[in-house]
Amino acid sequence: MVQINLPKNSEVQKGEYYKDKTGSKNIRKVNIYRWDPSSGENPRIDTYEVDMDNCPSKVLDLLNKIKNEIDPSIAYRRSCAHGVCGSCAMNMDGKNGLACTKSHSEIKGDINIYPLPHLKVEKDLIGDLSTLYKQYHSVEPWLKNSKKDDGKENLQSTEDRAKLDGLYECIMCACCSTACPSYWWNGDKYLGPAVLLQAYRWIMDSRDEERKERLKKVADELKLYRCHTIMNCTNACPKGLNPAKAIASIKKMLATS
Amino acid sequence: MKNDNPLSPHIQIYNWHISSLVSISHRITGIINIIIITLICVWVSLLVLGNSNYDLIQKFFETYFGKFFIVGTIWSFSFQALCEIRHIFWDLGYGFEIKTSNITGLLVIFGSFILTILIFGRNIIL
Ligand code: SF4
Ligand code: SF4
Ligand code: FES
Repeated sequence: MVQINLPKNSEVQKGEYYKDKTGSKNIRKVNIYRWDPSSGENPRIDTYEVDMDNCPSKVLDLLNKIKNEIDPSIAYRRSCAHGVCGSCAMNMDGKNGLACTKSHSEIKGDINIYPLPHLKVEKDLIGDLSTLYKQYHSVEPWLKNSKKDDGKENLQSTEDRAKLDGLYECIMCACCSTACPSYWWNGDKYLGPAVLLQAYRWIMDSRDEERKERLKKVADELKLYRCHTIMNCTNACPKGLNPAKAIASIKKMLATS
Repeated sequence: MKNDNPLSPHIQIYNWHISSLVSISHRITGIINIIIITLICVWVSLLVLGNSNYDLIQKFFETYFGKFFIVGTIWSFSFQALCEIRHIFWDLGYGFEIKTSNITGLLVIFGSFILTILIFGRNIIL
């Protein structure tokens, strides 16, 4: 259901203001979404003044700096810090991306940091992705092949392998799905761009023997056709992939098969 | 299990891109066009009922609001038509690169105004 307004308990309030204590001349204001499950209060936006002279280049560095030097209570996910694990996906400056690959110098004005959109918040910048993972599981993202294990490699031609380019690089960060308005309003039924791109990745794998069944599965009207080519997904993908195109390719395969 | 945790902000904070703007306008003009088509049907039915109705509607079209209504209708239908053409290309598998989709999005926006001027302007010139 399209619900434009946030529910009552999700309305964001003004939070605390942390003034700079370093006396730095190069200050930026960072507004961060905070919610503490133990407080019983609504989410709030805390504002931090940060000394940019002593801060490395990425938004994740900025968060680390705040956590280490100003407010240790702030929670966010991160692991690799190299754009590989997908943990640090969040909404920065109105756009989804990876905190560890996004430079704060690209952001003009105050730096606004929110969790990925339209998720149940677990704490601060951490959103609950369990629905997405369930959906991911539902497309059975593993090779289905009846070949007996004869100890040899399962070979694929260079051309067939090339068909997976632009698909296998996906790190399941969910930047695309949580940028998609169709996924916001129909996330319980619509698989969303991240999962559909994965579904397509297995449909396209020459070694997989269940292409037909896979196609049939995603063909379900609601699961797939909720995509209206808004392109928010492709705009958001930090790996430069194109889920909108993958979805269109599935649609085309369905239309011509 | 019921989850009472707050929902993270979405449309309130998400930046608009050309692509999402065109998409939402596509949908809104779609709804407007249905209403307009209904109105046109009512208009035609009224004509069947008599001459005086024609005069009444004619008068309405001569007012500023009536003119605005006509221009708005032309724009709304132009926009819709161009969006649909864009969708045909998408359905054929073309135009998914961000750059291309931004260009075609802009083409739809400017094209709809140019079409409006051409169609309405024809009335004034001829
Ligand atoms: S193109 Fe489809 S999947 Fe991507 S944001 Fe739009 S509706 Fe969602
Ligand atoms: S397609 Fe891109 S944005 Fe979506 S989950 Fe994969 S890497 Fe993330
Ligand atoms: S921390 Fe791994 S992708 Fe950012």
